[in-house]
Amino acid sequence: MSEIPSPLPKDAVRVGSVGFNIFAGPIYRLGDENQGEIKHFAFVPEQKHMNGSGAVHGGMLMTFADVSMSQTARSMFEGNGCNTVSLSCDFVSPGKLGALIESRVRVTRKTRSMVFLSAEVVSNGMPLLIATGLWKVAGQP
Amino acid sequence: MSVPAGFTETTLIDPFERHVGPVFERGVKGAKCFALRVDERHINARGVVHGGMMLTFADAALGQAVWDFTDRVPSVTMNMQAQFIDGARLGELIEVKPELVRRTRALVFVRGDFTADSRTLMTISSVWKLLGES
Repeated sequence: MSEIPSPLPKDAVRVGSVGFNIFAGPIYRLGDENQGEIKHFAFVPEQKHMNGSGAVHGGMLMTFADVSMSQTARSMFEGNGCNTVSLSCDFVSPGKLGALIESRVRVTRKTRSMVFLSAEVVSNGMPLLIATGLWKVAGQP
Repeated sequence: MSVPAGFTETTLIDPFERHVGPVFERGVKGAKCFALRVDERHINARGVVHGGMMLTFADAALGQAVWDFTDRVPSVTMNMQAQFIDGARLGELIEVKPELVRRTRALVFVRGDFTADSRTLMTISSVWKLLGES
């Protein structure tokens, strides 16, 4: 088990085990909030996550939103994998190197095979990115 | 990594793009096609390219296109909307030819259809803010 970076709580659990989740991560799941209504994730921006202007790269912020929301979708379907169908992201402010970035994901509606989600990505109380999207559970018509 | 026939390697500045790249390009400024060769770093547990990687390639390719469309005005992504239509697999070449929809004084609207082997994988609509313009 790798060391949990310092700004993260000790019970943080690393998300993903293959490919891009490892390569772009690490991304962590934290404890639920609001009696389970809000799923909570975090990562700590490293040099590899940055853009040339000294802010966290937009691709990494969208990756973090997508991973947070895909994990939430999966948790709504008994751990079955879910595919992102659509995602819309507004970039509100830039993220900083080394400053913990968190996401909070809410379920807008779940149907038999799909789930509508929204996510707020924040750092130091500032919103960085607002996302809404649609997920479909794999292998279900 | 070998450069696909007809392409040259795009010069990437951003550390995150260099981390996930290389990205390739062909064609003339303002009408370029960008490409990404899928490798083990890019895929998810189901063996297709991770949504985050598709979005990162979109941000890189469309950002390069905005730089070209505006003759080198720096910009930031304000909004990006993606529809994920099909998955790309290991070894496939993902291509996009970004299209300028409209440029105003401060904003650039750009879209792109991402394909592999003529299969549509993802469509993107995006809005970019030109820095220093209000």
